[in-house]
Amino acid sequence: MKKTVDVSLPVGPVHPCFKEPARIKCQTTGEKVLSAEIELGYVKKGIERIMVGRPWQEVMFLAERICGICSVIHNMVFIETVEKLSDINVPKRAAYLRVIVNELDRIQSHMLANYSYCYTIEHETLAMYLINLRETAIDQLELITGARITCAYMIPGGVRFDLKENDAEKLSFAMDKMEKDLIRFTNMFESGPLIGLRSKNVGILTREDAILSHAVGPTARASGINADQRTNHPTYQELGFSPIVMDSCDSYARVMVRFKEVFQSIELIRKCLDKLPKGLIRGGGVVTEGEYTWIGEAPRGELTYHVKTDKYGRVAEIAIQTPSIMNIEACAHHMLKNVDSAADVTSTFISSDPCIACNER
Amino acid sequence: MLSVFCYIKEFLRPEWWKKFLFAKTPPLTSPSYFRDYPHLTGNECTHELRCMMICPSPGAIEVLKTDDGRWEPVIYKGHCIRCGLCVEVCPDNVLASGRILEQNETDRTSYLSSYRLNVDDSLCMRCSNCSVACPINKVIDPNLAYNATSSSDDVIMRVKNSKLTILHPEKCTGCKTCEKTCPNGAITVARIVEGDQDEE
Ligand code: SF4
Ligand code: SF4
Ligand code: SF4
Repeated sequence: MKKTVDVSLPVGPVHPCFKEPARIKCQTTGEKVLSAEIELGYVKKGIERIMVGRPWQEVMFLAERICGICSVIHNMVFIETVEKLSDINVPKRAAYLRVIVNELDRIQSHMLANYSYCYTIEHETLAMYLINLRETAIDQLELITGARITCAYMIPGGVRFDLKENDAEKLSFAMDKMEKDLIRFTNMFESGPLIGLRSKNVGILTREDAILSHAVGPTARASGINADQRTNHPTYQELGFSPIVMDSCDSYARVMVRFKEVFQSIELIRKCLDKLPKGLIRGGGVVTEGEYTWIGEAPRGELTYHVKTDKYGRVAEIAIQTPSIMNIEACAHHMLKNVDSAADVTSTFISSDPCIACNER
Repeated sequence: MLSVFCYIKEFLRPEWWKKFLFAKTPPLTSPSYFRDYPHLTGNECTHELRCMMICPSPGAIEVLKTDDGRWEPVIYKGHCIRCGLCVEVCPDNVLASGRILEQNETDRTSYLSSYRLNVDDSLCMRCSNCSVACPINKVIDPNLAYNATSSSDDVIMRVKNSKLTILHPEKCTGCKTCEKTCPNGAITVARIVEGDQDEE
Protein backbone atom coordinates (compact mmCIF):
# COMPACT_ATOMS: atom_id res chain seq x y z
CA MET A 1 0.00 0.00 0.00
CA LYS A 2 1.25 3.45 -0.86
CA LYS A 3 1.62 5.65 2.18
CA THR A 4 1.37 9.43 1.99
CA VAL A 5 2.68 11.75 4.66
CA ASP A 6 1.36 15.23 5.45
CA VAL A 7 4.15 17.74 5.07
CA SER A 8 4.31 21.47 5.67
CA LEU A 9 6.07 22.92 2.64
CA PRO A 10 7.48 26.46 2.79
CA VAL A 11 7.75 28.42 -0.48
CA GLY A 12 9.72 31.66 -0.24
CA PRO A 13 10.25 34.26 1.19
CA VAL A 14 12.90 34.56 -1.48
CA HIS A 15 11.88 32.57 -4.50
CA PRO A 16 13.06 33.06 -8.07
CA CYS A 17 9.50 33.49 -9.32
CA PHE A 18 8.19 35.95 -6.76
CA LYS A 19 8.77 39.54 -7.55
CA GLU A 20 8.89 40.41 -3.86
CA PRO A 21 9.38 38.63 -0.53
CA ALA A 22 6.48 36.62 0.89
CA ARG A 23 6.30 33.14 2.32
CA ILE A 24 3.65 30.57 1.47
CA LYS A 25 3.29 27.77 3.98
CA CYS A 26 1.51 24.86 2.29
CA GLN A 27 0.04 21.81 3.93
CA THR A 28 0.62 18.99 1.48
CA THR A 29 -0.17 15.34 1.33
CA GLY A 30 1.90 13.68 -1.32
CA GLU A 31 1.90 16.07 -4.28
CA LYS A 32 -1.51 17.52 -3.42
CA VAL A 33 -1.77 20.85 -1.60
CA LEU A 34 -4.51 20.87 1.03
CA SER A 35 -4.33 24.44 2.26
CA ALA A 36 -1.94 27.35 2.41
CA GLU A 37 -1.07 30.28 4.55
CA ILE A 38 0.69 33.41 3.35
CA GLU A 39 3.10 35.26 5.57
CA LEU A 40 3.97 38.89 4.96
CA GLY A 41 5.93 41.51 6.85
CA TYR A 42 9.45 41.26 5.53
CA VAL A 43 9.87 44.76 4.09
CA LYS A 44 7.60 47.22 5.93
CA LYS A 45 8.39 50.78 4.75
CA GLY A 46 6.19 52.98 6.98
CA ILE A 47 5.44 55.43 4.18
CA GLU A 48 2.09 56.62 5.58
CA ARG A 49 3.84 57.79 8.74
CA ILE A 50 6.50 59.66 6.75
CA MET A 51 3.80 61.42 4.69
CA VAL A 52 2.16 63.11 7.67
CA GLY A 53 3.03 66.80 8.01
CA ARG A 54 4.31 67.22 4.49
CA PRO A 55 2.88 69.30 1.64
CA TRP A 56 1.58 67.70 -1.57
CA GLN A 57 4.75 68.28 -3.53
CA GLU A 58 6.55 65.89 -1.17
CA VAL A 59 3.75 63.40 -0.52
CA MET A 60 3.23 62.99 -4.27
CA PHE A 61 6.71 61.51 -4.62
CA LEU A 62 6.32 59.32 -1.55
CA ALA A 63 2.99 57.98 -2.85
CA GLU A 64 4.65 57.02 -6.10
CA ARG A 65 7.24 55.06 -4.23
CA ILE A 66 4.71 52.79 -2.53
CA CYS A 67 4.75 50.50 -5.52
CA GLY A 68 7.37 50.36 -8.21
CA ILE A 69 5.12 48.52 -10.65
CA CYS A 70 1.98 50.65 -10.63
CA SER A 71 3.42 53.99 -9.49
CA VAL A 72 1.34 56.24 -11.75
CA ILE A 73 -2.01 55.29 -10.25
CA HIS A 74 -0.78 56.12 -6.71
CA ASN A 75 0.21 59.56 -7.95
CA MET A 76 -3.13 59.94 -9.74
CA VAL A 77 -5.38 58.86 -6.86
CA PHE A 78 -3.50 60.96 -4.31
CA ILE A 79 -3.63 64.04 -6.50
CA GLU A 80 -7.32 63.49 -7.30
CA THR A 81 -8.13 63.15 -3.60
CA VAL A 82 -6.32 66.40 -2.87
CA GLU A 83 -8.09 68.10 -5.77
CA LYS A 84 -11.48 66.93 -4.59
CA LEU A 85 -10.96 68.14 -1.02
CA SER A 86 -9.92 71.60 -2.13
CA ASP A 87 -12.23 72.00 -5.15
CA ILE A 88 -9.59 72.28 -7.82
CA ASN A 89 -10.71 71.78 -11.40
CA VAL A 90 -8.60 70.00 -13.97
CA PRO A 91 -8.49 71.29 -17.56
CA LYS A 92 -9.92 68.86 -20.14
CA ARG A 93 -6.62 68.34 -21.91
CA ALA A 94 -4.86 67.45 -18.67
CA ALA A 95 -7.60 64.97 -17.76
CA TYR A 96 -7.15 63.14 -21.07
CA LEU A 97 -3.36 63.15 -20.72
CA ARG A 98 -3.75 61.62 -17.27
CA VAL A 99 -5.79 58.77 -18.75
CA ILE A 100 -3.15 58.16 -21.43
CA VAL A 101 -0.35 57.92 -18.89
CA ASN A 102 -2.43 55.82 -16.52
CA GLU A 103 -3.33 53.33 -19.26
CA LEU A 104 0.30 53.07 -20.38
CA ASP A 105 1.14 52.27 -16.78
CA ARG A 106 -1.59 49.63 -16.72
CA ILE A 107 -0.17 48.04 -19.87
CA GLN A 108 3.31 47.77 -18.40
CA SER A 109 2.00 46.45 -15.09
CA HIS A 110 -0.20 43.80 -16.75
CA MET A 111 2.63 42.78 -19.03
CA LEU A 112 4.91 42.32 -16.03
CA ALA A 113 2.24 40.21 -14.30
CA ASN A 114 1.75 38.02 -17.35
CA TYR A 115 5.49 37.81 -17.84
CA SER A 116 5.90 36.52 -14.28
CA TYR A 117 3.13 34.02 -14.89
CA CYS A 118 4.70 32.66 -18.07
CA TYR A 119 8.06 32.57 -16.36
CA THR A 120 6.59 30.62 -13.44
CA ILE A 121 5.08 27.99 -15.70
CA GLU A 122 8.47 27.97 -17.43
CA HIS A 123 7.41 29.22 -20.80
CA GLU A 124 10.41 31.49 -20.99
CA THR A 125 10.10 32.38 -24.65
CA LEU A 126 6.68 33.94 -24.21
CA ALA A 127 7.84 35.51 -20.96
CA MET A 128 10.69 37.18 -22.81
CA TYR A 129 8.37 38.41 -25.56
CA LEU A 130 6.03 39.91 -22.98
CA ILE A 131 8.75 41.68 -21.02
CA ASN A 132 9.93 43.18 -24.31
CA LEU A 133 6.43 44.45 -24.94
CA ARG A 134 6.44 46.01 -21.48
CA GLU A 135 9.62 47.80 -22.45
CA THR A 136 7.78 49.42 -25.38
CA ALA A 137 5.11 50.70 -22.98
CA ILE A 138 7.75 52.04 -20.60
CA ASP A 139 9.48 53.79 -23.50
CA GLN A 140 6.22 55.61 -24.23
CA LEU A 141 5.97 56.65 -20.56
CA GLU A 142 9.51 57.96 -20.81
CA LEU A 143 8.63 59.85 -23.99
CA ILE A 144 5.74 61.68 -22.31
CA THR A 145 6.98 62.16 -18.76
CA GLY A 146 10.75 61.91 -19.05
CA ALA A 147 11.01 59.07 -16.54
CA ARG A 148 10.43 55.35 -16.83
CA ILE A 149 8.81 54.22 -13.58
CA THR A 150 8.44 57.05 -11.09
CA CYS A 151 6.98 59.53 -13.55
CA ALA A 152 5.69 62.24 -11.14
CA TYR A 153 3.37 63.40 -13.90
CA MET A 154 0.26 64.73 -12.18
CA ILE A 155 0.05 67.79 -9.94
CA PRO A 156 -3.04 69.37 -8.37
CA GLY A 157 -4.88 71.16 -11.14
CA GLY A 158 -3.21 69.48 -14.08
CA VAL A 159 -0.16 67.65 -15.34
CA ARG A 160 3.48 68.60 -15.58
CA PHE A 161 4.25 68.19 -19.28
CA ASP A 162 2.24 68.58 -22.44
CA LEU A 163 2.07 66.01 -25.23
CA LYS A 164 3.71 67.42 -28.33
CA GLU A 165 2.34 66.86 -31.83
CA ASN A 166 5.15 64.58 -33.03
CA ASP A 167 5.20 62.70 -29.72
CA ALA A 168 1.51 61.92 -30.21
CA GLU A 169 2.36 60.48 -33.61
CA LYS A 170 5.14 58.36 -32.11
CA LEU A 171 2.73 57.18 -29.42
CA SER A 172 0.02 56.10 -31.82
CA PHE A 173 2.62 54.35 -33.99
CA ALA A 174 3.84 52.45 -30.92
CA MET A 175 0.26 51.50 -30.08
CA ASP A 176 -0.20 49.94 -33.53
CA LYS A 177 3.01 47.97 -33.16
CA MET A 178 2.11 46.82 -29.67
CA GLU A 179 -1.32 45.68 -30.74
CA LYS A 180 0.11 43.64 -33.61
CA ASP A 181 2.58 41.89 -31.30
CA LEU A 182 0.03 41.43 -28.59
CA ILE A 183 -2.41 39.62 -30.89
CA ARG A 184 0.35 37.10 -31.63
CA PHE A 185 1.28 36.62 -27.97
CA THR A 186 -2.33 36.27 -26.89
CA ASN A 187 -2.83 33.61 -29.55
CA MET A 188 0.26 31.83 -28.32
CA PHE A 189 -1.10 31.84 -24.80
CA GLU A 190 -4.59 30.80 -25.82
CA SER A 191 -3.59 27.98 -28.15
CA GLY A 192 -0.23 26.89 -26.71
CA PRO A 193 -0.78 23.36 -25.39
CA LEU A 194 1.68 23.62 -22.51
CA ILE A 195 0.13 26.82 -21.25
CA GLY A 196 -3.37 25.43 -21.41
CA LEU A 197 -2.40 22.43 -19.35
CA ARG A 198 -0.69 24.48 -16.68
CA SER A 199 -3.35 27.14 -16.25
CA LYS A 200 -6.78 25.83 -17.13
CA ASN A 201 -8.79 24.59 -14.15
CA VAL A 202 -5.94 25.45 -11.78
CA GLY A 203 -6.48 27.66 -8.75
CA ILE A 204 -10.24 28.01 -8.98
CA LEU A 205 -11.69 31.06 -7.23
CA THR A 206 -15.45 30.80 -7.55
CA ARG A 207 -17.65 33.88 -7.77
CA GLU A 208 -18.97 33.28 -4.25
CA ASP A 209 -15.47 32.88 -2.81
CA ALA A 210 -14.32 35.99 -4.64
CA ILE A 211 -17.17 37.98 -3.09
CA LEU A 212 -16.48 36.45 0.30
CA SER A 213 -12.79 37.30 0.27
CA HIS A 214 -13.42 40.76 -1.31
CA ALA A 215 -11.18 40.02 -4.27
CA VAL A 216 -10.63 43.06 -6.52
CA GLY A 217 -9.31 43.94 -9.93
CA PRO A 218 -8.55 41.36 -12.63
CA THR A 219 -8.69 38.58 -10.02
CA ALA A 220 -12.33 39.41 -9.28
CA ARG A 221 -13.21 40.10 -12.90
CA ALA A 222 -11.83 36.67 -13.89
CA SER A 223 -14.33 35.19 -11.42
CA GLY A 224 -17.26 36.89 -13.09
CA ILE A 225 -17.57 39.99 -10.89
CA ASN A 226 -18.33 43.10 -12.90
CA ALA A 227 -16.45 45.63 -10.79
CA ASP A 228 -14.10 48.31 -12.04
CA GLN A 229 -13.62 51.68 -10.37
CA ARG A 230 -12.86 53.27 -13.72
CA THR A 231 -16.60 53.22 -14.41
CA ASN A 232 -16.95 55.88 -11.66
CA HIS A 233 -14.23 58.12 -13.06
CA PRO A 234 -15.60 61.11 -15.00
CA THR A 235 -12.99 61.00 -17.80
CA TYR A 236 -13.42 57.26 -18.36
CA GLN A 237 -17.18 57.73 -18.44
CA GLU A 238 -16.73 60.24 -21.25
CA LEU A 239 -14.62 57.74 -23.17
CA GLY A 240 -17.26 55.03 -22.93
CA PHE A 241 -15.75 52.34 -20.77
CA SER A 242 -17.06 48.92 -19.78
CA PRO A 243 -15.11 46.38 -17.71
CA ILE A 244 -13.84 43.06 -19.05
CA VAL A 245 -15.32 40.05 -17.29
CA MET A 246 -14.60 36.34 -17.70
CA ASP A 247 -16.20 33.50 -15.83
CA SER A 248 -13.94 30.46 -15.95
CA CYS A 249 -12.52 31.46 -12.53
CA ASP A 250 -9.08 29.80 -13.02
CA SER A 251 -5.52 31.02 -13.49
CA TYR A 252 -6.08 31.03 -17.25
CA ALA A 253 -8.96 33.49 -16.91
CA ARG A 254 -6.93 35.79 -14.68
CA VAL A 255 -4.11 35.96 -17.23
CA MET A 256 -6.54 36.34 -20.13
CA VAL A 257 -8.39 39.19 -18.40
CA ARG A 258 -5.08 41.03 -18.23
CA PHE A 259 -4.35 40.41 -21.90
CA LYS A 260 -7.80 41.68 -22.87
CA GLU A 261 -7.41 44.70 -20.63
CA VAL A 262 -4.22 45.61 -22.43
CA PHE A 263 -6.16 45.62 -25.72
CA GLN A 264 -8.75 47.80 -24.03
CA SER A 265 -6.04 50.15 -22.73
CA ILE A 266 -4.62 50.50 -26.24
CA GLU A 267 -8.12 51.32 -27.47
CA LEU A 268 -8.59 53.89 -24.68
CA ILE A 269 -5.27 55.57 -25.51
CA ARG A 270 -6.31 55.81 -29.17
CA LYS A 271 -9.64 57.35 -28.18
CA CYS A 272 -7.84 59.87 -25.96
CA LEU A 273 -5.45 60.80 -28.76
CA ASP A 274 -8.40 61.30 -31.11
CA LYS A 275 -10.38 63.40 -28.68
CA LEU A 276 -7.45 65.27 -27.08
CA PRO A 277 -8.76 68.84 -26.81
CA LYS A 278 -6.53 71.87 -27.24
CA GLY A 279 -5.91 74.19 -24.32
CA LEU A 280 -4.09 74.54 -21.04
CA ILE A 281 -2.64 71.65 -19.08
CA ARG A 282 -2.49 73.39 -15.71
CA GLY A 283 -5.41 75.17 -14.10
CA GLY A 284 -3.68 76.14 -10.87
CA GLY A 285 -5.28 76.03 -7.44
CA VAL A 286 -4.07 75.89 -3.88
CA VAL A 287 -4.58 72.86 -1.66
CA THR A 288 -6.72 73.88 1.31
CA GLU A 289 -8.08 72.31 4.45
CA GLY A 290 -10.38 69.32 4.08
CA GLU A 291 -10.93 65.62 4.21
CA TYR A 292 -11.85 63.26 1.38
CA THR A 293 -11.82 59.63 0.35
CA TRP A 294 -11.40 58.70 -3.29
CA ILE A 295 -11.12 55.32 -4.96
CA GLY A 296 -9.27 54.62 -8.18
CA GLU A 297 -8.62 51.50 -10.18
CA ALA A 298 -5.01 50.37 -9.99
CA PRO A 299 -3.84 47.62 -12.37
CA ARG A 300 -4.47 45.18 -9.51
CA GLY A 301 -7.81 46.56 -8.32
CA GLU A 302 -9.32 49.22 -6.13
CA LEU A 303 -6.96 51.71 -4.55
CA THR A 304 -8.35 53.93 -1.81
CA TYR A 305 -6.82 57.11 -0.44
CA HIS A 306 -8.21 58.87 2.59
CA VAL A 307 -6.52 62.23 3.07
CA LYS A 308 -7.05 64.95 5.64
CA THR A 309 -5.17 68.22 5.27
CA ASP A 310 -4.47 71.03 7.71
CA LYS A 311 -5.05 74.73 7.00
CA TYR A 312 -1.74 75.07 5.17
CA GLY A 313 -2.56 72.22 2.80
CA ARG A 314 -0.19 69.81 4.47
CA VAL A 315 -1.24 66.22 4.99
CA ALA A 316 -2.51 65.78 8.54
CA GLU A 317 -3.80 62.24 8.24
CA ILE A 318 -3.53 59.71 5.48
CA ALA A 319 -4.76 56.16 5.10
CA ILE A 320 -4.10 54.12 1.99
CA GLN A 321 -5.74 50.87 1.10
CA THR A 322 -4.04 48.95 -1.67
CA PRO A 323 -5.66 46.18 -3.72
CA SER A 324 -3.21 43.30 -3.32
CA ILE A 325 -4.02 42.37 0.25
CA MET A 326 -7.54 41.31 -0.76
CA ASN A 327 -6.25 39.20 -3.61
CA ILE A 328 -3.65 37.60 -1.37
CA GLU A 329 -6.42 36.71 1.05
CA ALA A 330 -8.44 35.18 -1.79
CA CYS A 331 -5.35 33.32 -2.92
CA ALA A 332 -4.45 31.94 0.51
CA HIS A 333 -7.91 30.79 1.48
CA HIS A 334 -9.51 29.72 -1.77
CA MET A 335 -7.22 29.40 -4.77
CA LEU A 336 -4.56 27.36 -3.00
CA LYS A 337 -7.05 24.86 -1.63
CA ASN A 338 -6.96 21.40 -3.21
CA VAL A 339 -4.35 22.25 -5.81
CA ASP A 340 -3.24 19.08 -7.56
CA SER A 341 0.46 19.70 -7.62
CA ALA A 342 2.95 21.61 -5.49
CA ALA A 343 4.36 23.08 -8.70
CA ASP A 344 1.07 24.91 -9.26
CA VAL A 345 1.36 26.81 -5.97
CA THR A 346 3.74 29.48 -7.24
CA SER A 347 1.96 29.85 -10.58
CA THR A 348 -1.44 30.21 -8.89
CA PHE A 349 -0.04 32.75 -6.46
CA ILE A 350 1.53 34.74 -9.30
CA SER A 351 -1.68 34.55 -11.36
CA SER A 352 -3.40 36.75 -8.77
CA ASP A 353 -0.64 39.34 -9.41
CA PRO A 354 0.38 39.90 -5.78
CA CYS A 355 2.25 43.08 -5.09
CA ILE A 356 3.99 42.92 -1.74
CA ALA A 357 5.34 46.48 -1.96
CA CYS A 358 1.75 47.78 -1.89
CA ASN A 359 0.93 45.85 1.26
CA GLU A 360 4.12 46.67 3.10
CA ARG A 361 3.85 50.39 2.41
CA MET B 1 2.74 17.00 -30.92
CA LEU B 2 0.68 20.15 -31.21
CA SER B 3 3.32 22.15 -29.39
CA VAL B 4 5.94 21.12 -31.95
CA PHE B 5 3.82 22.63 -34.70
CA CYS B 6 3.33 25.76 -32.60
CA TYR B 7 7.07 26.24 -32.27
CA ILE B 8 7.71 25.49 -35.94
CA LYS B 9 5.08 28.07 -36.90
CA GLU B 10 6.69 30.67 -34.63
CA PHE B 11 10.20 30.01 -35.91
CA LEU B 12 9.20 30.10 -39.57
CA ARG B 13 8.12 33.72 -39.43
CA PRO B 14 10.39 35.98 -41.48
CA GLU B 15 10.40 38.58 -38.67
CA TRP B 16 11.81 36.00 -36.29
CA TRP B 17 14.66 35.24 -38.67
CA LYS B 18 15.31 38.89 -39.24
CA LYS B 19 15.51 39.45 -35.50
CA PHE B 20 17.63 36.33 -35.00
CA LEU B 21 20.19 37.19 -37.66
CA PHE B 22 20.45 40.89 -36.95
CA ALA B 23 20.13 40.78 -33.18
CA LYS B 24 22.15 43.48 -31.48
CA THR B 25 22.16 45.19 -28.16
CA PRO B 26 21.08 48.80 -28.42
CA PRO B 27 23.69 51.31 -27.26
CA LEU B 28 23.59 52.10 -23.57
CA THR B 29 22.58 55.74 -23.85
CA SER B 30 19.49 57.41 -22.46
CA PRO B 31 17.35 59.41 -24.90
CA SER B 32 17.61 63.19 -24.88
CA TYR B 33 14.24 63.53 -23.16
CA PHE B 34 15.23 61.33 -20.19
CA ARG B 35 14.90 63.30 -16.94
CA ASP B 36 18.41 62.74 -15.62
CA TYR B 37 20.14 64.39 -12.64
CA PRO B 38 19.96 68.16 -13.08
CA HIS B 39 23.08 69.73 -14.52
CA LEU B 40 24.22 73.34 -14.69
CA THR B 41 23.44 75.37 -17.79
CA GLY B 42 25.94 78.12 -17.07
CA ASN B 43 23.37 80.79 -16.24
CA GLU B 44 24.14 82.83 -13.16
CA CYS B 45 22.49 81.72 -9.91
CA THR B 46 20.92 84.62 -8.04
CA HIS B 47 20.71 82.74 -4.73
CA GLU B 48 16.93 82.75 -4.46
CA LEU B 49 17.02 79.27 -2.94
CA ARG B 50 13.74 78.24 -4.58
CA CYS B 51 15.27 74.94 -5.70
CA MET B 52 16.29 74.07 -2.15
CA MET B 53 12.86 75.02 -0.84
CA ILE B 54 10.89 72.84 -3.25
CA CYS B 55 13.18 69.79 -3.32
CA PRO B 56 11.20 66.83 -1.92
CA SER B 57 14.29 64.83 -1.07
CA PRO B 58 16.18 65.99 2.04
CA GLY B 59 19.81 66.79 1.39
CA ALA B 60 19.67 66.46 -2.40
CA ILE B 61 20.51 70.03 -3.31
CA GLU B 62 22.45 72.84 -1.72
CA VAL B 63 23.36 76.30 -2.99
CA LEU B 64 26.98 76.96 -2.15
CA LYS B 65 29.48 79.71 -2.79
CA THR B 66 32.26 78.81 -5.20
CA ASP B 67 35.86 79.91 -4.81
CA ASP B 68 35.38 82.93 -7.05
CA GLY B 69 32.44 84.17 -4.97
CA ARG B 70 29.52 83.08 -7.16
CA TRP B 71 26.56 81.06 -5.94
CA GLU B 72 26.07 77.65 -7.48
CA PRO B 73 23.63 74.81 -6.79
CA VAL B 74 25.22 71.46 -6.02
CA ILE B 75 23.27 68.20 -6.57
CA TYR B 76 24.09 65.26 -4.34
CA LYS B 77 23.39 62.28 -6.55
CA GLY B 78 22.91 59.83 -3.73
CA HIS B 79 19.90 61.79 -2.49
CA CYS B 80 18.42 63.28 -5.65
CA ILE B 81 15.39 61.40 -6.97
CA ARG B 82 15.50 63.17 -10.37
CA CYS B 83 12.06 64.69 -9.98
CA GLY B 84 13.06 67.81 -11.88
CA LEU B 85 11.15 70.22 -9.63
CA CYS B 86 14.27 72.31 -8.97
CA VAL B 87 14.70 72.75 -12.72
CA GLU B 88 11.09 73.84 -13.09
CA VAL B 89 11.04 76.41 -10.26
CA CYS B 90 14.34 78.13 -10.95
CA PRO B 91 13.53 81.57 -12.39
CA ASP B 92 17.00 81.98 -13.93
CA ASN B 93 17.18 78.58 -15.69
CA VAL B 94 20.36 77.68 -13.84
CA LEU B 95 19.64 73.97 -13.94
CA ALA B 96 18.54 71.70 -16.77
CA SER B 97 17.41 68.11 -17.00
CA GLY B 98 15.98 66.25 -19.98
CA ARG B 99 13.76 68.60 -21.95
CA ILE B 100 12.04 70.17 -18.94
CA LEU B 101 13.37 73.63 -19.72
CA GLU B 102 12.23 73.63 -23.36
CA GLN B 103 8.86 72.23 -22.38
CA ASN B 104 8.35 74.87 -19.72
CA GLU B 105 9.18 77.54 -22.24
CA THR B 106 6.83 76.29 -24.96
CA ASP B 107 3.99 75.40 -22.56
CA ARG B 108 4.58 78.54 -20.42
CA THR B 109 4.27 76.46 -17.27
CA SER B 110 5.75 77.30 -13.89
CA TYR B 111 5.15 76.97 -10.16
CA LEU B 112 3.98 79.73 -7.88
CA SER B 113 5.13 79.33 -4.32
CA SER B 114 4.31 81.22 -1.18
CA TYR B 115 5.07 80.63 2.47
CA ARG B 116 2.92 80.73 5.58
CA LEU B 117 4.27 80.98 9.10
CA ASN B 118 2.71 78.81 11.72
CA VAL B 119 3.34 79.55 15.42
CA ASP B 120 2.39 77.15 18.14
CA ASP B 121 1.57 79.50 21.02
CA SER B 122 1.79 76.79 23.63
CA LEU B 123 5.42 76.11 22.68
CA CYS B 124 6.60 79.67 21.97
CA MET B 125 8.42 81.30 24.91
CA ARG B 126 8.72 84.76 23.30
CA CYS B 127 12.49 84.73 23.12
CA SER B 128 12.26 86.46 19.70
CA ASN B 129 15.19 84.47 18.37
CA CYS B 130 13.17 83.92 15.19
CA SER B 131 12.45 87.60 14.58
CA VAL B 132 16.07 88.54 15.15
CA ALA B 133 17.42 85.79 12.94
CA CYS B 134 15.09 86.42 10.00
CA PRO B 135 17.19 87.99 7.22
CA ILE B 136 14.21 89.85 5.76
CA ASN B 137 13.38 91.39 9.14
CA LYS B 138 16.98 92.51 9.40
CA VAL B 139 16.76 94.35 6.08
CA ILE B 140 13.43 96.02 6.89
CA ASP B 141 14.33 97.10 10.41
CA PRO B 142 18.06 96.90 11.23
CA ASN B 143 17.35 97.99 14.81
CA LEU B 144 15.43 94.79 15.43
CA ALA B 145 18.68 92.95 15.81
CA TYR B 146 19.55 94.97 18.93
CA ASN B 147 16.40 95.31 20.95
CA ALA B 148 14.38 92.37 19.66
CA THR B 149 11.11 94.29 19.56
CA SER B 150 10.42 96.49 16.61
CA SER B 151 8.40 99.66 16.28
CA SER B 152 8.09 99.17 12.55
CA ASP B 153 4.87 97.65 11.23
CA ASP B 154 6.57 96.41 8.05
CA VAL B 155 8.48 93.51 9.57
CA ILE B 156 7.42 89.92 8.98
CA MET B 157 7.09 89.17 12.69
CA ARG B 158 7.93 90.63 16.06
CA VAL B 159 7.32 90.01 19.72
CA LYS B 160 4.93 92.59 21.12
CA ASN B 161 2.81 92.59 24.27
CA SER B 162 4.51 89.28 25.13
CA LYS B 163 3.13 87.58 22.07
CA LEU B 164 4.76 86.66 18.79
CA THR B 165 2.70 88.34 16.08
CA ILE B 166 3.06 87.61 12.39
CA LEU B 167 2.42 90.83 10.46
CA HIS B 168 3.46 90.19 6.88
CA PRO B 169 3.71 86.48 6.04
CA GLU B 170 3.70 87.34 2.32
CA LYS B 171 7.22 88.84 2.60
CA CYS B 172 8.68 85.52 3.77
CA THR B 173 11.10 83.85 1.36
CA GLY B 174 10.88 80.48 3.01
CA CYS B 175 14.53 80.27 4.06
CA LYS B 176 13.51 78.46 7.26
CA THR B 177 16.11 80.31 9.35
CA CYS B 178 13.43 81.02 11.96
CA GLU B 179 12.50 77.35 12.10
CA LYS B 180 16.12 76.42 12.71
CA THR B 181 16.80 79.09 15.36
CA CYS B 182 13.70 78.46 17.44
CA PRO B 183 14.83 76.54 20.54
CA ASN B 184 11.42 74.96 21.01
CA GLY B 185 10.33 74.09 17.51
CA ALA B 186 7.39 76.47 17.95
CA ILE B 187 7.55 78.10 14.52
CA THR B 188 7.20 76.21 11.26
CA VAL B 189 7.21 77.43 7.69
CA ALA B 190 4.60 75.89 5.39
CA ARG B 191 5.32 75.93 1.68
CA ILE B 192 2.31 76.42 -0.55
CA VAL B 193 3.03 75.49 -4.15
CA GLU B 194 0.66 75.87 -7.05
CA GLY B 195 1.15 74.71 -10.62
CA ASP B 196 0.57 77.53 -13.06
CA GLN B 197 0.38 78.15 -16.80
CA ASP B 198 0.12 81.43 -18.69
CA GLU B 199 -2.51 81.85 -21.39
CA GLU B 200 -1.24 82.91 -24.78
S1 SF4 C 1 15.71 66.88 -9.14
FE1 SF4 C 1 14.26 66.85 -7.42
S2 SF4 C 1 15.30 65.63 -5.85
FE2 SF4 C 1 16.87 66.23 -7.32
S3 SF4 C 1 17.72 68.12 -6.47
FE3 SF4 C 1 16.10 68.71 -7.91
S4 SF4 C 1 14.26 68.96 -6.64
FE4 SF4 C 1 15.76 67.78 -5.42
S1 SF4 D 1 11.41 81.52 6.71
FE1 SF4 D 1 13.12 82.94 6.56
S2 SF4 D 1 12.23 84.79 5.62
FE2 SF4 D 1 10.51 83.53 6.33
S3 SF4 D 1 10.08 84.33 8.37
FE3 SF4 D 1 11.46 82.61 8.65
S4 SF4 D 1 13.49 83.53 8.70
FE4 SF4 D 1 12.10 85.06 7.84
S1 SF4 E 1 12.19 81.54 18.36
FE1 SF4 E 1 10.51 80.10 18.85
S2 SF4 E 1 10.17 80.45 21.04
FE2 SF4 E 1 11.39 82.20 20.34
S3 SF4 E 1 9.85 83.74 19.81
FE3 SF4 E 1 10.26 82.60 17.92
S4 SF4 E 1 8.71 81.00 17.89
FE4 SF4 E 1 8.75 81.81 19.97
